[in-house]
Amino acid sequence: MSVKYISVQWNSNKWKYNAIMLASVFTYLWIFIFVTPDIMSNEGRINGQVHNARAFGSCAFLMLSVILCIGPLARLDKRFLPLLYNRRHFGVMTMFVGITHAGYILNWYFAFSPSNKYEALLFSNTSYGQLSGFPFEVFGILALFCLTILAATSHDFWLKFLTPRIWKRIHYLIYAAYISVVAHVSLGILQDQQNHAFTVLFIVSALVVAVLHLLAAIHERKHGDPFPNNSDNWVEVCDVSELREGFAKITQLTQKERVAVFMHEGKLSAISNACAHQNGPLGEGKIIRCLVTCPWHGFQYDVTNGSSPAPFTEKVPTYNLKLEGSSVLVDRNANAPGTFVEPLVLQTTGAAT
Amino acid sequence: MSEKKAPFFVGYMGVPKALKSFLLKVSLLLFAGFTAGAVLAGASQDDPGQAGFRFDYGRQTLTGVLEANPYPLLYVTQGNDRVKAGHTMMLSGQGKTPIMANLAALEGNEVEISGVILKRGELDMLQVAGGKKGIKDLSKEGTIPASEPLGKWKLQGEICDGKCLAGAMNPGRGLAHKACANLCLLADIPPVFVSSQPVEGKEFLLVADPDGGPFPREMYNYVGQFLELETEIERRGDLLVLRIDPDKIKAIE
Ligand code: HEM
Ligand code: FES
Repeated sequence: MSVKYISVQWNSNKWKYNAIMLASVFTYLWIFIFVTPDIMSNEGRINGQVHNARAFGSCAFLMLSVILCIGPLARLDKRFLPLLYNRRHFGVMTMFVGITHAGYILNWYFAFSPSNKYEALLFSNTSYGQLSGFPFEVFGILALFCLTILAATSHDFWLKFLTPRIWKRIHYLIYAAYISVVAHVSLGILQDQQNHAFTVLFIVSALVVAVLHLLAAIHERKHGDPFPNNSDNWVEVCDVSELREGFAKITQLTQKERVAVFMHEGKLSAISNACAHQNGPLGEGKIIRCLVTCPWHGFQYDVTNGSSPAPFTEKVPTYNLKLEGSSVLVDRNANAPGTFVEPLVLQTTGAAT
Repeated sequence: MSEKKAPFFVGYMGVPKALKSFLLKVSLLLFAGFTAGAVLAGASQDDPGQAGFRFDYGRQTLTGVLEANPYPLLYVTQGNDRVKAGHTMMLSGQGKTPIMANLAALEGNEVEISGVILKRGELDMLQVAGGKKGIKDLSKEGTIPASEPLGKWKLQGEICDGKCLAGAMNPGRGLAHKACANLCLLADIPPVFVSSQPVEGKEFLLVADPDGGPFPREMYNYVGQFLELETEIERRGDLLVLRIDPDKIKAIE
């Protein structure tokens, strides 16, 4: 939760998360740079600059693949949710690894010339009209550009400043970055290799990312509630018997809007499913000490009025509920964020109050 | 949805026990994946072959007749242990610095040139030292050997920049290296065709345009690709020169 924009604080879980990421990345780079030159049985030595550029480039690609797998994995199996938390630091790290890759390339292939190396990068190959020999470097530049925007706006300040909706939209650029890197590699080094071990690693990684996204989409379609298409303002959520103390049922109201109906102390309340922090799924969270707790970064809301407890100021919209027999219905017209709604009392007969 | 039995995690609270072992397994898997990836990708890089600057030869000084068309060439008249008289030595400036402007005025003269040699097998090139030490005009007109036509050939191979190919960079050819090669070619560095079958015993040929001039800009699209071409070949000193014809060249897979 936040006072102003200082939200998710440093804590021991974050340190552990970062330590695991850093250990994996450092080990990758260390093995690639210092161990593999002696394993290779090559007659000639690859220049250090190119060897290092390859280490950092392939590392950045793997990191990006892992980052993109976390989202769909968390949607398929909730146990992966902790990986989603704090994923941003991994993204920022990827940008730095990508910049280092580009630096080695620029200071080698584009250096030693009277021309400025940044200009040389842009003018030395202009064969844009062909696939074989295409200046694949531009896709690297594009990817780096996207990663830099993402890293620069990764702080919660920007989330607050740009609003979560726009922030989230900007952060879809991660897909543009990934597709650019795939093009960068496919038109670049893959055109140029005799040994195809890296090609296999590359294709398998990209396939895993694609297949996980597909599976997550199918999963959502199957298990997410279908659109209610009645024109009435009241939308059926579920049967009372399906609700469990401390948890919610989620229902899609419009293309973008979902409502989470919680049972708390035997009474029902409904708030928007979208967390005010980063649109995390509140309905997948649970009520901890009387407060709905977001599964992504743990922002909390009073279930009766959608407001974070003082001193925090986050608010989400609330919804009105009614019972018809044993069906729970929600009014599709949201109340303004922070509006108090009297919780719906369930009587043993199942009738509404 | 929310009523699944999965333990619930909030970042700033402790990790539930049941999740702990799961997360530990995921972390180990991630670490193992990165380790295996590094070995796989790092140890499987293509061999760039044996090539490079021969600093071990020391600075070489050669006397010969200079030609600046299509590219800077020295027809060696007085050699040494490493480079014999009669050899045609391709020349380049330092790094990717053009030297044609300094040499054009000396075309046809006898000169003394000094610098460091780059070598890949039969292919060699001299990187001319900077300043006055690099080129000394001996103020004497020399004779450029007559060119000997070798007729029409149909060849397959790749156009590279001769300097990176000769070992200035390893790897120094191919499509991943194309932009670098173009930048070399723009700096008067002689383009070299690597033929997949030897021509009169030679695998490396200097590339010129159909009139014997420098490699044309429009043809840069072909650099680094595997090509099939029909061409006239001539011999200058002990160097073969290929005249590239834009109408008789195509990229193949
Ligand atoms: C200004 C930006 C960039 C430039 C100029 C650039 C340039 C290059 C070049 C010239 C190569 C071929 C190297 C070789 O000869 O082997 C390459 C390979 C590669 N690049 Fe980039 N790149 C850029 C950004 C990126 C970024 C942001 C990523 C990933 C996130 C990336 C991932 C890769 C990968 C995976 C390879 C193949 C590695 C290998 O050779 O084994 N590049 N890049
Ligand atoms: S706490 Fe970050 S999205 Fe809810």
